[in-house]
Amino acid sequence: MSSTPIDDAPKPGLFDWIWHIRGEIPLAPGQTSEDAFDRVAPLFDARGTSHRRMGDTLTFDKKDPDAQDKMAVFDRGTLTVDRNGPAPALRYHLVSRALLLCFLAPLMFLSFAAITIAVGKMDTPAKEEAAKKKPEKKDVQPPQSVIDKWLGAPAPESLKKKADDANKKDDKKTKPTSAYVFAGIFAVLYLIGRFLEDRLIKAQFRKRLLGA
Amino acid sequence: MEGVRVGKRMIGTQAPVTIGWENIPRVEGGPFKQAFFTWFQPAVLFGLILFWYYAPNSIAKASTAIGIGIGFRVLMLTMEHFFPRYESWRLTWKELATDLFYVGLGYTILNVVEDFIGAGAIIEAVQHSADWEKFHWFTGLPLLLQAFLISFIFDFGQYWMHRGMHNWYPLWLPHSVHHYITQLNINKGAVGNPVELFLIGLGVGGFFDFLPRAALLAGALGLAVGTYQHINVRFNTPRWWRFTFNTTEHHSLHHSQDFEASRSNFCNTWIIIDRFFGTCVDGEAELLGMEGGRRMSIREQMTYPFTEGWKSIKERIDRTRYGQTSAVPAE
Repeated sequence: MSSTPIDDAPKPGLFDWIWHIRGEIPLAPGQTSEDAFDRVAPLFDARGTSHRRMGDTLTFDKKDPDAQDKMAVFDRGTLTVDRNGPAPALRYHLVSRALLLCFLAPLMFLSFAAITIAVGKMDTPAKEEAAKKKPEKKDVQPPQSVIDKWLGAPAPESLKKKADDANKKDDKKTKPTSAYVFAGIFAVLYLIGRFLEDRLIKAQFRKRLLGA
Repeated sequence: MEGVRVGKRMIGTQAPVTIGWENIPRVEGGPFKQAFFTWFQPAVLFGLILFWYYAPNSIAKASTAIGIGIGFRVLMLTMEHFFPRYESWRLTWKELATDLFYVGLGYTILNVVEDFIGAGAIIEAVQHSADWEKFHWFTGLPLLLQAFLISFIFDFGQYWMHRGMHNWYPLWLPHSVHHYITQLNINKGAVGNPVELFLIGLGVGGFFDFLPRAALLAGALGLAVGTYQHINVRFNTPRWWRFTFNTTEHHSLHHSQDFEASRSNFCNTWIIIDRFFGTCVDGEAELLGMEGGRRMSIREQMTYPFTEGWKSIKERIDRTRYGQTSAVPAE
Protein backbone atom coordinates (compact mmCIF):
# COMPACT_ATOMS: atom_id res chain seq x y z
CA MET A 1 0.00 0.00 0.00
CA SER A 2 1.35 3.43 -0.86
CA SER A 3 1.90 5.83 1.99
CA THR A 4 2.52 9.52 2.10
CA PRO A 5 4.96 10.72 4.74
CA ILE A 6 2.53 12.55 6.97
CA ASP A 7 5.19 14.95 8.20
CA ASP A 8 5.06 16.44 4.70
CA ALA A 9 1.47 17.40 5.50
CA PRO A 10 0.61 20.84 6.93
CA LYS A 11 1.82 21.55 10.49
CA PRO A 12 -0.29 20.38 13.45
CA GLY A 13 -3.76 21.83 13.44
CA LEU A 14 -5.59 23.14 16.45
CA PHE A 15 -7.58 19.95 16.95
CA ASP A 16 -5.55 17.16 15.39
CA TRP A 17 -4.05 16.17 18.77
CA ILE A 18 -7.37 14.39 19.20
CA TRP A 19 -6.29 11.55 16.92
CA HIS A 20 -2.62 12.33 16.18
CA ILE A 21 0.07 11.22 18.62
CA ARG A 22 3.48 12.83 18.41
CA GLY A 23 6.59 12.28 20.48
CA GLU A 24 10.30 11.69 20.46
CA ILE A 25 12.83 9.33 22.00
CA PRO A 26 16.49 10.41 22.30
CA LEU A 27 18.85 8.06 20.47
CA ALA A 28 21.97 6.58 22.01
CA PRO A 29 25.13 8.52 21.10
CA GLY A 30 26.38 7.39 17.70
CA GLN A 31 23.24 5.37 16.88
CA THR A 32 22.57 5.40 13.13
CA SER A 33 19.14 5.69 11.47
CA GLU A 34 19.54 2.19 10.13
CA ASP A 35 20.24 0.74 13.56
CA ALA A 36 17.32 2.66 15.09
CA PHE A 37 14.89 1.45 12.43
CA ASP A 38 16.25 -2.11 12.66
CA ARG A 39 15.45 -2.09 16.36
CA VAL A 40 11.84 -0.94 15.91
CA ALA A 41 11.29 -3.01 12.73
CA PRO A 42 9.67 -6.02 14.56
CA LEU A 43 6.76 -3.72 15.43
CA PHE A 44 6.01 -3.43 11.73
CA ASP A 45 6.35 -7.14 10.92
CA ALA A 46 2.70 -7.66 11.73
CA ARG A 47 -0.21 -8.86 9.64
CA GLY A 48 -1.87 -6.06 7.65
CA THR A 49 1.10 -3.72 8.09
CA SER A 50 3.24 -2.34 5.28
CA HIS A 51 6.23 -0.08 5.87
CA ARG A 52 8.84 1.70 3.82
CA ARG A 53 12.21 3.17 4.76
CA MET A 54 13.68 6.18 2.95
CA GLY A 55 16.89 7.43 4.52
CA ASP A 56 16.01 8.97 7.87
CA THR A 57 12.28 8.33 7.48
CA LEU A 58 10.11 5.26 7.98
CA THR A 59 6.43 5.33 7.01
CA PHE A 60 3.83 2.68 7.68
CA ASP A 61 0.17 1.83 6.99
CA LYS A 62 -2.09 -0.69 8.66
CA LYS A 63 -5.23 -2.47 7.54
CA ASP A 64 -7.24 -4.73 9.86
CA PRO A 65 -4.38 -5.23 12.33
CA ASP A 66 -4.56 -8.15 14.76
CA ALA A 67 -6.10 -7.44 18.15
CA GLN A 68 -2.77 -8.08 19.90
CA ASP A 69 -0.70 -5.99 17.46
CA LYS A 70 1.20 -3.54 19.70
CA MET A 71 0.33 -0.73 17.27
CA ALA A 72 -3.22 -1.88 16.44
CA VAL A 73 -4.71 1.44 17.43
CA PHE A 74 -2.78 3.33 14.70
CA ASP A 75 -3.63 3.38 11.00
CA ARG A 76 -0.56 5.13 9.62
CA GLY A 77 2.40 7.11 10.74
CA THR A 78 5.93 8.38 10.20
CA LEU A 79 9.11 7.86 12.21
CA THR A 80 11.99 10.25 11.53
CA VAL A 81 15.52 10.33 12.86
CA ASP A 82 16.10 14.01 13.58
CA ARG A 83 19.73 15.15 13.81
CA ASN A 84 19.02 18.88 13.77
CA GLY A 85 18.48 19.25 17.51
CA PRO A 86 21.11 19.29 20.27
CA ALA A 87 20.97 15.47 20.41
CA PRO A 88 19.74 12.99 17.76
CA ALA A 89 16.23 11.68 18.41
CA LEU A 90 13.59 9.46 16.87
CA ARG A 91 10.50 11.57 16.28
CA TYR A 92 7.19 9.86 15.61
CA HIS A 93 3.85 11.04 14.33
CA LEU A 94 1.08 8.45 14.48
CA VAL A 95 -2.52 8.73 13.33
CA SER A 96 -5.38 6.80 14.95
CA ARG A 97 -8.86 6.63 13.47
CA ALA A 98 -9.93 4.58 16.52
CA LEU A 99 -9.14 7.53 18.81
CA LEU A 100 -11.03 9.92 16.53
CA LEU A 101 -14.09 7.67 16.39
CA CYS A 102 -14.00 7.19 20.15
CA PHE A 103 -13.82 10.97 20.56
CA LEU A 104 -16.89 11.35 18.32
CA ALA A 105 -18.81 8.39 19.82
CA PRO A 106 -20.42 10.50 22.60
CA LEU A 107 -22.00 12.67 19.88
CA MET A 108 -23.46 9.56 18.28
CA PHE A 109 -24.93 8.38 21.58
CA LEU A 110 -26.31 11.87 22.27
CA SER A 111 -28.03 11.74 18.87
CA PHE A 112 -29.46 8.33 19.85
CA ALA A 113 -30.78 10.02 23.02
CA ALA A 114 -32.44 12.71 20.87
CA ILE A 115 -34.00 10.03 18.63
CA THR A 116 -35.24 8.14 21.72
CA ILE A 117 -36.89 11.30 23.08
CA ALA A 118 -38.48 12.08 19.70
CA VAL A 119 -39.76 8.51 19.32
CA GLY A 120 -41.09 8.57 22.89
CA LYS A 121 -43.07 11.75 22.18
CA MET A 122 -44.58 10.16 19.06
CA ASP A 123 -45.36 6.95 20.92
CA THR A 124 -46.94 8.36 24.13
CA PRO A 125 -50.34 9.58 22.73
CA ALA A 126 -50.91 6.19 21.06
CA LYS A 127 -50.18 4.39 24.34
CA GLU A 128 -52.46 6.68 26.32
CA GLU A 129 -55.23 6.06 23.79
CA ALA A 130 -54.72 2.30 24.06
CA ALA A 131 -54.73 2.49 27.88
CA LYS A 132 -58.07 4.35 27.85
CA LYS A 133 -59.65 1.72 25.59
CA LYS A 134 -58.48 -1.19 27.74
CA PRO A 135 -61.28 -2.58 29.94
CA GLU A 136 -60.55 -2.66 33.66
CA LYS A 137 -59.63 -6.24 34.62
CA LYS A 138 -60.69 -7.73 37.94
CA ASP A 139 -57.88 -8.36 40.36
CA VAL A 140 -56.83 -12.01 40.49
CA GLN A 141 -54.27 -13.57 42.81
CA PRO A 142 -52.05 -16.01 40.84
CA PRO A 143 -51.61 -19.45 42.38
CA GLN A 144 -48.48 -20.47 44.25
CA SER A 145 -47.12 -24.00 44.36
CA VAL A 146 -47.35 -25.68 47.75
CA ILE A 147 -43.65 -26.49 47.51
CA ASP A 148 -42.77 -22.79 47.15
CA LYS A 149 -45.15 -21.93 50.01
CA TRP A 150 -43.53 -24.57 52.19
CA LEU A 151 -40.02 -23.35 51.31
CA GLY A 152 -41.02 -19.79 52.22
CA ALA A 153 -40.84 -18.03 48.82
CA PRO A 154 -42.77 -14.72 48.81
CA ALA A 155 -46.32 -14.98 47.45
CA PRO A 156 -46.64 -13.78 43.82
CA GLU A 157 -48.09 -10.33 43.16
CA SER A 158 -51.65 -9.95 41.92
CA LEU A 159 -52.22 -9.63 38.16
CA LYS A 160 -53.53 -6.06 38.57
CA LYS A 161 -50.37 -5.00 40.40
CA LYS A 162 -48.30 -6.64 37.67
CA ALA A 163 -50.26 -4.84 34.97
CA ASP A 164 -49.76 -1.52 36.78
CA ASP A 165 -46.03 -2.22 37.01
CA ALA A 166 -45.97 -3.16 33.34
CA ASN A 167 -47.62 0.17 32.46
CA LYS A 168 -44.99 1.98 34.52
CA LYS A 169 -42.33 -0.01 32.63
CA ASP A 170 -43.87 1.14 29.33
CA ASP A 171 -43.25 4.72 30.43
CA LYS A 172 -39.60 3.87 31.01
CA LYS A 173 -39.15 2.13 27.67
CA THR A 174 -38.38 5.22 25.71
CA LYS A 175 -36.10 6.96 28.21
CA PRO A 176 -32.75 8.13 26.86
CA THR A 177 -30.80 7.38 30.07
CA SER A 178 -28.73 4.54 28.61
CA ALA A 179 -27.69 6.73 25.65
CA TYR A 180 -26.47 9.42 28.08
CA VAL A 181 -24.62 6.77 30.10
CA PHE A 182 -22.82 5.47 27.00
CA ALA A 183 -21.98 9.02 25.89
CA GLY A 184 -20.29 9.43 29.27
CA ILE A 185 -18.58 6.03 29.06
CA PHE A 186 -17.07 6.88 25.67
CA ALA A 187 -15.94 10.32 26.83
CA VAL A 188 -14.03 8.66 29.69
CA LEU A 189 -12.82 5.87 27.40
CA TYR A 190 -11.42 8.46 24.99
CA LEU A 191 -9.47 10.22 27.75
CA ILE A 192 -8.08 6.89 28.96
CA GLY A 193 -7.16 5.82 25.41
CA ARG A 194 -5.52 9.12 24.47
CA PHE A 195 -3.35 8.99 27.59
CA LEU A 196 -2.73 5.23 27.66
CA GLU A 197 -1.92 4.65 23.98
CA ASP A 198 0.46 7.63 24.02
CA ARG A 199 2.34 6.15 26.97
CA LEU A 200 2.27 2.56 25.68
CA ILE A 201 3.72 3.39 22.26
CA LYS A 202 6.38 5.60 23.81
CA ALA A 203 7.34 2.74 26.13
CA GLN A 204 7.46 0.32 23.17
CA PHE A 205 9.75 2.56 21.14
CA ARG A 206 11.94 3.31 24.14
CA LYS A 207 12.22 -0.38 25.07
CA ARG A 208 13.24 -1.38 21.56
CA LEU A 209 15.56 1.55 20.87
CA LEU A 210 17.41 1.56 24.14
CA GLY A 211 16.93 -2.08 25.02
CA ALA A 212 15.59 -0.86 28.40
CA MET B 1 -3.06 -31.17 10.26
CA GLU B 2 -4.37 -34.61 11.24
CA GLY B 3 -7.30 -33.64 13.39
CA VAL B 4 -9.20 -35.80 15.86
CA ARG B 5 -12.16 -38.02 15.04
CA VAL B 6 -15.28 -37.07 17.04
CA GLY B 7 -18.18 -39.30 16.00
CA LYS B 8 -18.28 -39.17 12.22
CA ARG B 9 -16.40 -35.87 11.99
CA MET B 10 -12.73 -34.91 11.86
CA ILE B 11 -12.19 -31.88 14.08
CA GLY B 12 -9.06 -29.76 13.91
CA THR B 13 -7.82 -30.52 10.39
CA GLN B 14 -7.58 -26.81 9.52
CA ALA B 15 -6.55 -25.17 12.80
CA PRO B 16 -5.25 -26.44 16.16
CA VAL B 17 -7.87 -27.46 18.71
CA THR B 18 -7.75 -29.45 21.95
CA ILE B 19 -10.28 -32.26 22.17
CA GLY B 20 -11.26 -34.05 25.39
CA TRP B 21 -11.49 -32.68 28.93
CA GLU B 22 -8.47 -34.70 30.03
CA ASN B 23 -6.31 -32.67 27.63
CA ILE B 24 -7.46 -29.24 28.80
CA PRO B 25 -5.13 -27.41 31.22
CA ARG B 26 -6.33 -26.70 34.73
CA VAL B 27 -5.84 -23.68 36.97
CA GLU B 28 -2.63 -24.21 38.90
CA GLY B 29 -1.54 -22.71 42.21
CA GLY B 30 -2.23 -23.06 45.91
CA PRO B 31 -5.24 -24.83 47.43
CA PHE B 32 -7.17 -21.58 47.92
CA LYS B 33 -6.73 -20.54 44.28
CA GLN B 34 -7.72 -24.01 43.06
CA ALA B 35 -10.79 -24.09 45.30
CA PHE B 36 -11.80 -20.59 44.22
CA PHE B 37 -11.64 -21.39 40.50
CA THR B 38 -13.41 -24.72 41.04
CA TRP B 39 -16.33 -23.46 43.11
CA PHE B 40 -16.75 -19.88 41.87
CA GLN B 41 -19.20 -20.77 39.08
CA PRO B 42 -21.50 -23.08 41.14
CA ALA B 43 -21.39 -20.66 44.11
CA VAL B 44 -22.53 -17.74 41.92
CA LEU B 45 -25.24 -19.85 40.28
CA PHE B 46 -26.70 -21.17 43.54
CA GLY B 47 -26.29 -17.77 45.20
CA LEU B 48 -28.30 -16.09 42.46
CA ILE B 49 -30.98 -18.80 42.56
CA LEU B 50 -31.36 -18.35 46.32
CA PHE B 51 -31.46 -14.57 45.94
CA TRP B 52 -34.20 -14.55 43.31
CA TYR B 53 -36.15 -17.30 45.07
CA TYR B 54 -36.38 -15.42 48.37
CA ALA B 55 -36.05 -11.73 47.39
CA PRO B 56 -39.15 -9.72 48.40
CA ASN B 57 -41.41 -8.60 45.54
CA SER B 58 -40.19 -5.02 45.96
CA ILE B 59 -36.63 -6.14 45.05
CA ALA B 60 -37.38 -8.95 42.57
CA LYS B 61 -37.54 -6.61 39.57
CA ALA B 62 -35.86 -6.33 36.18
CA SER B 63 -33.95 -3.21 37.31
CA THR B 64 -32.27 -5.27 40.08
CA ALA B 65 -31.36 -7.92 37.49
CA ILE B 66 -29.81 -5.26 35.24
CA GLY B 67 -27.78 -3.91 38.17
CA ILE B 68 -26.55 -7.42 39.09
CA GLY B 69 -25.71 -8.09 35.43
CA ILE B 70 -23.57 -4.93 35.15
CA GLY B 71 -21.83 -5.67 38.46
CA PHE B 72 -21.10 -9.24 37.35
CA ARG B 73 -19.60 -8.01 34.07
CA VAL B 74 -17.32 -5.59 35.90
CA LEU B 75 -16.20 -8.46 38.15
CA MET B 76 -15.52 -10.63 35.09
CA LEU B 77 -13.53 -7.80 33.46
CA THR B 78 -11.39 -7.60 36.59
CA MET B 79 -10.87 -11.38 36.60
CA GLU B 80 -9.92 -11.28 32.91
CA HIS B 81 -7.26 -8.72 33.75
CA PHE B 82 -5.71 -10.66 36.62
CA PHE B 83 -6.35 -14.28 35.55
CA PRO B 84 -6.41 -14.48 31.75
CA ARG B 85 -6.99 -17.87 30.15
CA TYR B 86 -4.78 -16.89 27.20
CA GLU B 87 -2.37 -13.94 26.95
CA SER B 88 -3.31 -13.83 23.27
CA TRP B 89 -6.88 -12.89 24.25
CA ARG B 90 -5.85 -10.06 26.57
CA LEU B 91 -8.20 -7.09 26.43
CA THR B 92 -6.67 -4.00 24.82
CA TRP B 93 -8.05 -0.47 24.80
CA LYS B 94 -9.12 -0.82 21.16
CA GLU B 95 -10.84 -4.18 21.77
CA LEU B 96 -12.66 -2.75 24.80
CA ALA B 97 -13.77 0.33 22.86
CA THR B 98 -15.01 -1.85 19.97
CA ASP B 99 -16.89 -4.20 22.29
CA LEU B 100 -18.49 -1.33 24.22
CA PHE B 101 -19.60 0.27 20.96
CA TYR B 102 -21.71 -2.83 20.25
CA VAL B 103 -22.92 -3.09 23.85
CA GLY B 104 -23.95 0.58 23.56
CA LEU B 105 -25.84 -0.05 20.32
CA GLY B 106 -27.77 -2.83 22.03
CA TYR B 107 -28.77 -0.66 24.98
CA THR B 108 -29.75 2.39 22.88
CA ILE B 109 -30.78 2.53 19.25
CA LEU B 110 -31.38 -1.21 18.78
CA ASN B 111 -33.56 -1.13 21.89
CA VAL B 112 -35.67 1.64 20.35
CA VAL B 113 -35.99 -0.32 17.09
CA GLU B 114 -36.89 -3.51 19.03
CA ASP B 115 -39.60 -1.64 20.93
CA PHE B 116 -41.09 -0.36 17.71
CA ILE B 117 -40.91 -3.17 15.20
CA GLY B 118 -39.17 -6.03 16.98
CA ALA B 119 -39.76 -8.29 19.94
CA GLY B 120 -40.96 -5.46 22.19
CA ALA B 121 -43.83 -4.57 19.86
CA ILE B 122 -44.83 -8.22 19.30
CA ILE B 123 -44.70 -9.08 23.00
CA GLU B 124 -46.74 -6.02 23.92
CA ALA B 125 -49.42 -6.90 21.37
CA VAL B 126 -49.65 -10.51 22.56
CA GLN B 127 -49.57 -9.62 26.25
CA HIS B 128 -52.37 -7.08 25.87
CA SER B 129 -54.65 -9.46 24.01
CA ALA B 130 -53.99 -12.70 25.90
CA ASP B 131 -55.87 -13.89 28.94
CA TRP B 132 -53.09 -14.83 31.35
CA GLU B 133 -55.49 -16.43 33.80
CA LYS B 134 -55.51 -19.39 31.41
CA PHE B 135 -51.84 -19.93 32.27
CA HIS B 136 -52.46 -20.53 35.97
CA TRP B 137 -51.67 -24.22 35.42
CA PHE B 138 -48.12 -23.05 34.62
CA THR B 139 -47.79 -20.38 37.28
CA GLY B 140 -48.96 -22.94 39.85
CA LEU B 141 -45.90 -25.11 39.14
CA PRO B 142 -42.91 -24.89 41.53
CA LEU B 143 -40.87 -21.78 40.74
CA LEU B 144 -37.67 -23.65 39.96
CA LEU B 145 -39.50 -25.89 37.49
CA GLN B 146 -41.02 -22.82 35.81
CA ALA B 147 -37.58 -21.22 35.59
CA PHE B 148 -36.03 -24.39 34.16
CA LEU B 149 -38.78 -24.70 31.55
CA ILE B 150 -38.48 -21.03 30.53
CA SER B 151 -34.71 -21.27 30.26
CA PHE B 152 -34.72 -24.60 28.46
CA ILE B 153 -37.51 -23.75 25.97
CA PHE B 154 -35.85 -20.40 25.21
CA ASP B 155 -32.45 -22.06 24.73
CA PHE B 156 -34.00 -24.78 22.56
CA GLY B 157 -35.30 -22.05 20.24
CA GLN B 158 -31.94 -20.29 20.28
CA TYR B 159 -30.19 -23.58 19.49
CA TRP B 160 -32.17 -24.05 16.29
CA MET B 161 -31.93 -20.38 15.32
CA HIS B 162 -28.14 -20.54 15.80
CA ARG B 163 -27.83 -23.87 13.98
CA GLY B 164 -29.95 -22.37 11.19
CA MET B 165 -27.53 -19.46 10.99
CA HIS B 166 -24.71 -21.90 10.33
CA ASN B 167 -26.64 -23.87 7.72
CA TRP B 168 -28.68 -21.38 5.70
CA TYR B 169 -26.71 -18.75 3.80
CA PRO B 170 -29.12 -15.78 4.24
CA LEU B 171 -28.97 -16.26 8.01
CA TRP B 172 -25.23 -17.01 7.95
CA LEU B 173 -24.46 -13.64 6.32
CA PRO B 174 -25.43 -11.48 9.35
CA HIS B 175 -24.10 -14.10 11.82
CA SER B 176 -20.74 -14.51 10.05
CA VAL B 177 -19.60 -11.10 11.32
CA HIS B 178 -19.72 -12.39 14.92
CA HIS B 179 -17.38 -15.22 13.87
CA TYR B 180 -14.69 -12.73 12.86
CA ILE B 181 -13.90 -12.04 16.53
CA THR B 182 -10.39 -13.31 17.19
CA GLN B 183 -10.48 -13.52 20.97
CA LEU B 184 -13.06 -14.05 23.70
CA ASN B 185 -13.75 -11.31 26.23
CA ILE B 186 -16.72 -10.61 28.44
CA ASN B 187 -18.45 -8.20 26.02
CA LYS B 188 -17.69 -10.11 22.80
CA GLY B 189 -21.16 -11.64 22.83
CA ALA B 190 -22.48 -8.22 21.81
CA VAL B 191 -20.23 -7.95 18.75
CA GLY B 192 -22.05 -8.57 15.49
CA ASN B 193 -23.88 -6.98 12.63
CA PRO B 194 -26.92 -5.00 13.87
CA VAL B 195 -29.21 -7.14 11.67
CA GLU B 196 -28.14 -10.21 13.65
CA LEU B 197 -28.43 -8.38 16.96
CA PHE B 198 -31.98 -7.43 15.95
CA LEU B 199 -32.81 -11.02 14.93
CA ILE B 200 -31.47 -12.38 18.22
CA GLY B 201 -33.64 -9.83 20.03
CA LEU B 202 -36.66 -11.50 18.42
CA GLY B 203 -36.51 -14.16 21.11
CA VAL B 204 -39.41 -15.31 23.19
CA GLY B 205 -37.92 -14.37 26.56
CA GLY B 206 -40.02 -11.23 26.93
CA PHE B 207 -43.22 -13.29 26.73
CA PHE B 208 -42.46 -14.54 30.21
CA ASP B 209 -42.64 -11.07 31.70
CA PHE B 210 -45.98 -12.04 33.23
CA LEU B 211 -44.08 -14.41 35.55
CA PRO B 212 -41.45 -12.02 36.88
CA ARG B 213 -39.90 -14.23 39.55
CA ALA B 214 -39.66 -17.32 37.34
CA ALA B 215 -38.34 -15.19 34.47
CA LEU B 216 -35.77 -13.59 36.77
CA LEU B 217 -34.68 -17.04 37.96
CA ALA B 218 -34.33 -18.13 34.32
CA GLY B 219 -32.37 -14.94 33.65
CA ALA B 220 -30.08 -15.80 36.56
CA LEU B 221 -29.33 -19.13 34.85
CA GLY B 222 -28.47 -17.24 31.69
CA LEU B 223 -26.25 -14.82 33.61
CA ALA B 224 -24.49 -17.45 35.72
CA VAL B 225 -23.92 -19.85 32.80
CA GLY B 226 -24.30 -18.07 29.45
CA THR B 227 -21.98 -15.20 30.40
CA TYR B 228 -19.00 -17.58 30.46
CA GLN B 229 -19.35 -18.27 26.74
CA HIS B 230 -17.27 -15.22 25.87
CA ILE B 231 -14.75 -14.74 28.64
CA ASN B 232 -10.98 -14.90 28.98
CA VAL B 233 -10.76 -16.64 32.36
CA ARG B 234 -9.92 -20.29 33.04
CA PHE B 235 -11.98 -22.21 35.59
CA ASN B 236 -11.65 -25.76 36.90
CA THR B 237 -15.27 -26.27 35.93
CA PRO B 238 -16.80 -29.26 37.78
CA ARG B 239 -17.56 -32.33 35.68
CA TRP B 240 -21.38 -32.17 36.21
CA TRP B 241 -21.39 -28.49 35.14
CA ARG B 242 -19.54 -29.04 31.87
CA PHE B 243 -21.76 -32.04 31.09
CA THR B 244 -24.91 -29.96 31.59
CA PHE B 245 -23.99 -26.36 30.75
CA ASN B 246 -22.19 -24.49 28.03
CA THR B 247 -18.66 -23.37 28.95
CA THR B 248 -15.93 -21.09 27.60
CA GLU B 249 -14.19 -24.22 26.33
CA HIS B 250 -17.22 -25.32 24.29
CA HIS B 251 -17.74 -21.85 22.88
CA SER B 252 -14.08 -21.32 22.03
CA LEU B 253 -14.32 -24.44 19.84
CA HIS B 254 -17.42 -22.97 18.22
CA HIS B 255 -15.36 -19.86 17.35
CA SER B 256 -12.32 -21.90 16.23
CA GLN B 257 -10.66 -21.23 12.87
CA ASP B 258 -11.36 -24.91 12.14
CA PHE B 259 -14.55 -25.19 10.06
CA GLU B 260 -15.80 -28.49 11.50
CA ALA B 261 -15.18 -27.31 15.08
CA SER B 262 -17.18 -24.15 14.40
CA ARG B 263 -20.16 -26.32 13.48
CA SER B 264 -20.56 -27.57 17.05
CA ASN B 265 -21.82 -26.31 20.43
CA PHE B 266 -24.69 -24.10 19.24
CA CYS B 267 -26.60 -23.64 22.50
CA ASN B 268 -26.40 -20.67 24.86
CA THR B 269 -26.86 -22.30 28.25
CA TRP B 270 -27.80 -25.99 28.10
CA ILE B 271 -25.03 -27.95 26.33
CA ILE B 272 -27.15 -31.06 26.87
CA ILE B 273 -29.26 -29.82 23.93
CA ASP B 274 -26.15 -30.16 21.75
CA ARG B 275 -25.52 -33.58 23.28
CA PHE B 276 -29.09 -34.66 22.37
CA PHE B 277 -28.61 -33.63 18.75
CA GLY B 278 -25.04 -34.86 18.34
CA THR B 279 -23.47 -31.43 17.84
CA CYS B 280 -21.55 -31.25 21.15
CA VAL B 281 -17.76 -31.43 21.06
CA ASP B 282 -15.88 -31.23 24.37
CA GLY B 283 -12.66 -29.29 23.99
CA GLU B 284 -11.20 -25.84 23.47
CA ALA B 285 -9.40 -23.64 20.94
CA GLU B 286 -7.12 -20.62 21.20
CA LEU B 287 -6.93 -19.58 17.54
CA LEU B 288 -10.30 -18.06 16.71
CA GLY B 289 -11.94 -16.30 13.79
CA MET B 290 -12.35 -16.58 10.04
CA GLU B 291 -9.95 -16.23 7.13
CA GLY B 292 -7.02 -17.32 9.29
CA GLY B 293 -7.95 -14.94 12.10
CA ARG B 294 -8.29 -11.70 10.13
CA ARG B 295 -9.71 -9.01 12.41
CA MET B 296 -12.61 -7.19 10.81
CA SER B 297 -13.02 -3.43 11.26
CA ILE B 298 -16.30 -2.00 12.56
CA ARG B 299 -16.98 -0.46 9.14
CA GLU B 300 -16.69 -3.83 7.44
CA GLN B 301 -18.74 -5.49 10.19
CA MET B 302 -21.54 -3.06 9.39
CA THR B 303 -21.53 -3.64 5.63
CA TYR B 304 -20.25 -7.21 5.21
CA PRO B 305 -23.61 -9.07 5.12
CA PHE B 306 -24.92 -6.67 2.47
CA THR B 307 -21.80 -6.58 0.27
CA GLU B 308 -21.39 -10.38 0.46
CA GLY B 309 -25.11 -10.90 -0.11
CA TRP B 310 -25.02 -8.62 -3.14
CA LYS B 311 -21.98 -10.48 -4.54
CA SER B 312 -23.79 -13.82 -4.15
CA ILE B 313 -26.99 -12.54 -5.79
CA LYS B 314 -25.02 -11.05 -8.68
CA GLU B 315 -23.10 -14.29 -9.15
CA ARG B 316 -26.32 -16.28 -9.19
CA ILE B 317 -27.97 -13.92 -11.70
CA ASP B 318 -24.91 -14.08 -13.93
CA ARG B 319 -24.90 -17.87 -13.76
CA THR B 320 -28.60 -18.06 -14.61
CA ARG B 321 -28.49 -15.45 -17.36
CA TYR B 322 -25.19 -16.16 -19.02
CA GLY B 323 -24.40 -19.63 -17.81
CA GLN B 324 -21.17 -18.28 -16.34
CA THR B 325 -19.28 -20.19 -13.69
CA SER B 326 -16.76 -18.95 -11.18
CA ALA B 327 -13.41 -17.89 -12.66
CA VAL B 328 -11.07 -20.85 -13.24
CA PRO B 329 -7.34 -20.33 -13.73
CA ALA B 330 -6.55 -20.63 -17.47
CA GLU B 331 -4.19 -23.57 -17.61
